[in-house]
Amino acid sequence: MNAIETHGLSRRYGRLEAVHGLDLAVPAGAIFALLGPNGAGKSTTIKVLMNLLEPTAGSATVLGVDSRRLSPRELARIGFVADNMELPEWMTVRVFLDYCRPLYPTWDRDLESNLLQKFELPTDRKLKHLSRGMRMKAALIAALAYRPMLLVLDEPFSGLDPVVRDDFIRGVLEVSALGDWTVFLSSHDVEEVERLADWIAVLEQGKLRFAEPLDSLLRRFRRIEITRGANSVPSPSQSQKPIPSTWLASEEAGTLHRFIDSQYMEGDAERRCAELFPGAAINVQPLPLREIYLTLARHPEAAKAMQP
Amino acid sequence: MLPFSIELRPGLPLAEQILFAVKKAVVSGQLRPGDKFPSVRQLSQELRVNPNTAHKVVAALVAENVLLSTPAVGTVVAAPVAGSRRERAALLGSELERVIVEAKKFGLDIHDVQAAVEAHWRKLSEPSKS
Repeated sequence: MNAIETHGLSRRYGRLEAVHGLDLAVPAGAIFALLGPNGAGKSTTIKVLMNLLEPTAGSATVLGVDSRRLSPRELARIGFVADNMELPEWMTVRVFLDYCRPLYPTWDRDLESNLLQKFELPTDRKLKHLSRGMRMKAALIAALAYRPMLLVLDEPFSGLDPVVRDDFIRGVLEVSALGDWTVFLSSHDVEEVERLADWIAVLEQGKLRFAEPLDSLLRRFRRIEITRGANSVPSPSQSQKPIPSTWLASEEAGTLHRFIDSQYMEGDAERRCAELFPGAAINVQPLPLREIYLTLARHPEAAKAMQP
Repeated sequence: MLPFSIELRPGLPLAEQILFAVKKAVVSGQLRPGDKFPSVRQLSQELRVNPNTAHKVVAALVAENVLLSTPAVGTVVAAPVAGSRRERAALLGSELERVIVEAKKFGLDIHDVQAAVEAHWRKLSEPSKS
């Protein structure tokens, strides 16, 4: 079952198409990161999912319900925190939580006080007098305390100092358990989500570049370095044998030849290398997520290979 | 706090890093047979990693008989693997190959590698200082 699905989802603002034909499936139980530069359409997508905007074409379902028909019943199972979220500024933290509590039948007071303590929030301070990080924490408590089935976070970490960010992640993990709990979050920074996410999707100029489990990405990308012996073996440009099309970003300097294999299979790649470069030393290294991201940005064809 | 040393490096597969840290802790005696192993929840929260990753690590360690899942106590560190010496040695295959390839690249011979292995062996055999 998917916690979120979009089908040909588009949203335009006048002439500007912010999101274009988005097909997304967020499996239940995943921590799903939607990555992309600022202005890629991440926030617009999330606003459509939360029914703050209507799609101009296509549709989205959230917890099995069309986003345009999300009722308080569904919203009581969804937690939502956005970077620039409007909060009732005049309320103190205490009053704010008192105000939210009766809206959610599943509100857990123990969890609320546990998070308050963990986050060291001053409960008698007005929201407008809180720092940005503190306000985000207050919003997160109000979104976590009813143990939602789906947590949606729009740029949760941007501009937070490292300590607040760590608290924030701890808070999210505090509530998370294995099973049907799903987190959907947007970010413009790969490294922010690397430890947390098990699914990565990249949105660029309103279009989905790829969506793939993190495991699968880390498994299929490798940097391969081939050091040719002193008795020169033909370099690939001179070699007659064709180089597999899944070998990307090929570079050469001196006796070193380096490329990225986008469909790495253990043993297989080594065998191919040995055929193409007899007698050369082969070194295979895993590729950090940041570099996988860059590789896919420069070689969109490597993303298509995996799509169903 | 987790009962074993670990420092996660960005970029490398998390599950593999945690697996390696746990196995290293068992080999070096930081984790002893019978010691209680942290729950999935604890692992996830202490390391700030996805609970699915933590779950996968624990499942893999149980499957490899590094950990033992007991109904009463939870997960504990298992006694060293049974099986023949040769079977256990075979587990080292790919690691050894990597070491040998690296050594050859640096122009070392087998004696240099033996000396380095011995020195490292002694280092890990000393009682843990942490």
